[in-house]
Amino acid sequence: MKAVCLLALVGVLPLLAAGCGGGGKKSSSGSGGTRGGETYAQLNVVWDAPDYMDPALYYTVAAYQLTNYVWTGLVGYKHASGPAGAELVPYLAESMPKISADGKTYNFTLRPNLKYSNGKPVKASDFRYTIERDFKMDSPGVGFYSDIAGVSGANGFATTKKGHISGITTNDANRTIQIKLTSPRGDFLYILALEFSHFVPAGTPATDQSTHPIPATGPYIVKSYVPSRSFVLVRNPNYNDQIPTMPKGNPDKVVGKIITDPVAAYQQVVSNSSDYDFQTVPNDRLPEAQSKYKDQLRIYTNANTYYFALNNAIPPFNNLKARQAVQQAIDPSAIISGIYGGLGRPTENFLPPGYPQYQKISAWKFDLAAAKKLVQQSGTAGQTVDVYGPNEDPSKATTEYLANQLSKIGYKSKLHLLSHQVYFQTIGNQATKAQAMFTNWFQDYPHPLDWFDVLLNGDRITKTHNNNPGNVNVPSVNKEIDALKSETQITPEVNNRWAKVDKDLMVTYATTVPYMNRSQTDFFSNRMDMSCYTFSVVLYWDWGLSCQK
Amino acid sequence: MATTDTSTDFTLDTAAALAADEHGTIEGKSPWLLAWRRLRRNYVALSFLALFFLIVIACALAGPYARHIAKTGPNDNHLGETFARNGKQIPIVSKGGFVNGTFVAGGIPVGPQLWHAGGRYVFGADNQGRDVSVRLLYGGQNSLKVGIGSGIICMFFALILALVAGYFSSWADWLISRFFDLIWAFPVLLLAIALGTALSINGFHHFGISIESGSLWIPTLVISYVLIPYVGRPLRGQILSLREKEFIEAAKAQGASPVRIMASELLPNLASSVLVFFALIIASNILTEAGLSFLGAGVQPPSPSWGTMIADGQDRIVTAPWLAIIPGIAIVLTVLSLNVFGDGLRDALDPRSKIRMER
Repeated sequence: MKAVCLLALVGVLPLLAAGCGGGGKKSSSGSGGTRGGETYAQLNVVWDAPDYMDPALYYTVAAYQLTNYVWTGLVGYKHASGPAGAELVPYLAESMPKISADGKTYNFTLRPNLKYSNGKPVKASDFRYTIERDFKMDSPGVGFYSDIAGVSGANGFATTKKGHISGITTNDANRTIQIKLTSPRGDFLYILALEFSHFVPAGTPATDQSTHPIPATGPYIVKSYVPSRSFVLVRNPNYNDQIPTMPKGNPDKVVGKIITDPVAAYQQVVSNSSDYDFQTVPNDRLPEAQSKYKDQLRIYTNANTYYFALNNAIPPFNNLKARQAVQQAIDPSAIISGIYGGLGRPTENFLPPGYPQYQKISAWKFDLAAAKKLVQQSGTAGQTVDVYGPNEDPSKATTEYLANQLSKIGYKSKLHLLSHQVYFQTIGNQATKAQAMFTNWFQDYPHPLDWFDVLLNGDRITKTHNNNPGNVNVPSVNKEIDALKSETQITPEVNNRWAKVDKDLMVTYATTVPYMNRSQTDFFSNRMDMSCYTFSVVLYWDWGLSCQK
Repeated sequence: MATTDTSTDFTLDTAAALAADEHGTIEGKSPWLLAWRRLRRNYVALSFLALFFLIVIACALAGPYARHIAKTGPNDNHLGETFARNGKQIPIVSKGGFVNGTFVAGGIPVGPQLWHAGGRYVFGADNQGRDVSVRLLYGGQNSLKVGIGSGIICMFFALILALVAGYFSSWADWLISRFFDLIWAFPVLLLAIALGTALSINGFHHFGISIESGSLWIPTLVISYVLIPYVGRPLRGQILSLREKEFIEAAKAQGASPVRIMASELLPNLASSVLVFFALIIASNILTEAGLSFLGAGVQPPSPSWGTMIADGQDRIVTAPWLAIIPGIAIVLTVLSLNVFGDGLRDALDPRSKIRMER
């Protein structure tokens, strides 16, 4: 998943005191959340443009953060601040599944009397329909389900899109769902929490339903959605607290304006026209926000890593010393200060902090002279390097920085800046032969497989749509990632093995150049009661738990 | 009828007679000399011409200035570095980040130092710590190269097409006029953006011509192309009028070939218009280039141009307004100087215009 395709975060803000201030009204928000709160009439927000409003298709935080209260899956994340928010709890499932000893079979039972917002019952077979619909729609999430029996292969559902997926069996009368995998996957429960697994009623057309809201299972429904302009969420009339592990939400209505310009979005909140600015406050306005609106501003660092990918497959970066030179030529603090206004934390790890597998790496430091020397030793000095990056700031400025640093250490860098719309598919195409690239990753779900397997496993390199544009391919590490994939239990020993994978790839083989975990902002109007602010590991700002003064 | 008296009736001999009274004999004055006489009395136009030359000279000296005074290149970032001012080390871009868990906003580049830092950061730094004054001069070079280059190419092709269309009526005129119409049908900036964006990604590699993406030739050629009808149409109109004059008839009667007529008869009569258009089209091209570069379809980063500098500065308009204002002023001065001079040149070269002014 690329920069804009964010799903989850690691919370860094302290858990705030429970309970909301006075001025609230109406009833309690329900028992599912970790805090109380009182309902209020309307939450006005300024939001970024969701890519879609159909759970089979959307893949951006703008959609996910908004609709995690609308459509739900068998399991989902606990609505809690900090690391507790990474904990999976049963949503539509009665309880967490029974998993067979070999880790290949998952058995779920749905809660009784579940209903969609249109009043129709939620059936076990809807789950199979949901996954099959993903494939029929060529959902961006279908890759996650490749290990379900009957999906892959020449006769698999992914190819034929006919019949049913043999690895999913359901019984509507007993409300049971059985999922069989071809091989155990340590991250499969997280995959079931993804939006692509969120229930839609059987018979929902296998076409984009963004503007024809699909019946919901969560506490809210999408009342209206006008792409690029606005949306309205209201309470689900048939919710009846059917998911006790989920808060029922404080605002009765959420009215959103879609404004993609960060300055305009910021101004909406400053003028109290909106209560929340989804966009990160622009660098230019950050000093003002920090001084004048300090109490309304929250800064968080989520689970992301910004890194420069170096093409390990072709010169000059098929040379270890050349890659080490680039690591030493990059000054993370300078990038964070100058280009990101301070909104970031330096890193040398690929895995972001907050994971139990994270072990901080401090293996190199910014040293241009040493970097130049390494380039000379590598015998690659003077070679031309095609540097690729998006053409919008701050990514553009970061890419320019990389190109300039490469020139400083002895390469002839040639800059290629591309539109965001085509950038990742261009560098993901082997024909481009990009040598050094701007890239980043925000987690899909909180598991190291989403980082190392998806991004740096050499066995997953493809000719096009390559998520590993640096063509990182270290056979011994690939083998270890594959071995760790089947580990379903997170133990200290497993965590240490993941940490070693991180160190091997970043230090021993210097495959990439991680430099920053980017921070972002939540900005609120003075109508909002900030004592209710809840930032979840996965769900970002939990608007359902918000309250007003 | 000719007369020898000294009445004020205008006759062919009047001027000579008056001159004889004053100076004895009269010398023939070429139209160029007359134009120059008019132009040199137009101090405003000459002042702005001087300003334009000043800008050109300053931009031409970008290299020596960067090497010997600013000591940095136009694309050299200085993030995380400091410079000395009055013995104090000042960060080029303010530091930010998390200090003991508290966030400190940073990234504000140092403002204009004028000459207080020994010629460094005269106009401040941008968010990558690049010296704005160095980028301004190099950016000016690029903007002027594109502006003048596209002006020359545009004038050349517009003139050729106008001559062919104007001289040969019938099918050639029809074909060329429709070509002008076709380009004219598109809003000029939108067409330039579309072409500039497409070409700036992959460059141009057709018909044995290879232009790399990022080359200055791309905005130069794009601007030349989209502005051809804006020059070609009025020139064609003038040629249509000239074609009917007696001297053209006389040339034809003498058996002059069309090429000879175009080169020897029409072209000299168009020279004044071409000169005026050239001055004005350069100003227009510089503006178009700035607009294209601002939108990412002109000069490609990291190469500076005044348009890209404004684009880079817009994100810092509150905390570092000089980033957008300074290149903006450079564009205003350059375009203003060319426009005012162009107007002066037109007044000097077009006697009818002078007569109108005298009334």
